[in-house]
Amino acid sequence: MRHGNYAFIYDDFLSDRKFEHVLSEVDARLASLDLTGRVGRLTLFRNARDIVQSLVQDSDTTVVVVGNDRTLDKVLWFLPDMQVTLAYIPVGPPTNVASLLGIPIGAGACDVLSARLIEWLDVGRLDDRYFLSEISLSNTNAAIEVEGKYRISPYKGGSIFIRNLGSLTEAKPEWADAKDGLLEVIVKPVEEKAGSGFFRKAEAPVTRLFLSSGNIVSDQPVEVKADYYAANGMRFEIGVEPKKLRFVTGRNRRISPEGEGLQKARHNANLTGI
Amino acid sequence: MPETKNFMPNSVSNGMTVIAKGVKVEGDFDSQGDVMIEGQVNGHVSTNGLLTVGNEARLKADVSAANAVVAGDVEGTINVSGRLELKATAKVQGDVTCETAIVEAGAALNGKFMVGQVKSAPAPRQSEAKNAAKES
Repeated sequence: MRHGNYAFIYDDFLSDRKFEHVLSEVDARLASLDLTGRVGRLTLFRNARDIVQSLVQDSDTTVVVVGNDRTLDKVLWFLPDMQVTLAYIPVGPPTNVASLLGIPIGAGACDVLSARLIEWLDVGRLDDRYFLSEISLSNTNAAIEVEGKYRISPYKGGSIFIRNLGSLTEAKPEWADAKDGLLEVIVKPVEEKAGSGFFRKAEAPVTRLFLSSGNIVSDQPVEVKADYYAANGMRFEIGVEPKKLRFVTGRNRRISPEGEGLQKARHNANLTGI
Repeated sequence: MPETKNFMPNSVSNGMTVIAKGVKVEGDFDSQGDVMIEGQVNGHVSTNGLLTVGNEARLKADVSAANAVVAGDVEGTINVSGRLELKATAKVQGDVTCETAIVEAGAALNGKFMVGQVKSAPAPRQSEAKNAAKES
């Protein structure tokens, strides 16, 4: 059964011959499921927003991104404000977002699209730009300032991750809850040299807390990455827009135990001022 | 609105706030729920849950909590509305107030130690308040 309109956005890199086979599989599967719609292709010299806007007829439209996580990043900075449903057909690496959302690579993603299991996801914000997965700062002395009450930082330097959906940068994916209205802050100081084998130290706990808004502050200019977007500066505002984006997800995404999200939200209520 | 389900995370297994070794906090760190500190805090720490101060933690802070286990250094007052446990490695410089206390041999305290004389208690958790209301 058809649900509304579809707008398919193909990334430019898919014109490479090595993607011919997987694209033909995707197109065949979409046709067999009667999932058809208008088609646009992202190109280097055309604004992605203009391309998407020209294809979207109304808020009933499902924008289907065909490509990889970088393709998704090219449309995510403006798409939450268009109040459309977003779907994703990953065909090549990187595909961490697909893993986090339980979406298979290639033609299998068409079945997820057809099943239309739609989640309302939170969207993170770095200044005025939206992000879905995480903000990361590597080898930094920057601090996170929370509600003007306190600052937290690695005192000999380290990495800071501010997660909405989960990690993009780690080999082993780490999930965050993109439905709790909070960002999860992970601070990893520079590791001390550990032993090996039998003498290897047990894994130390990492610094973890939750917030709904705050600032990244630094005495020196730092590079901050929000998904695949990088910015330099000494002060950034961070926040989260609860239930801002409708996303078609797979059934293999993680399900939290009943009430865990609520418990965490209550736990952090005082921290975040909510 | 479409059907929504929670999905989540192996990373948030228990929702505890953790300040690990190598990390410092400066300012008023107010929280709800359990907090574990192994790093440094300068300022003030408050929670209505269990506060655990690890043996490598260094706090220059006034502390208030519902219950606390202290194994590290605390320079400042400690005010616990419930049970306070001072481990053998604990070093406290400041006045301590709590309802009940367990002090291991070797714990160092430089200040007044007042047991059963709680001045002000952090607000109890909602669930605890509900349970108390049911019992009464």
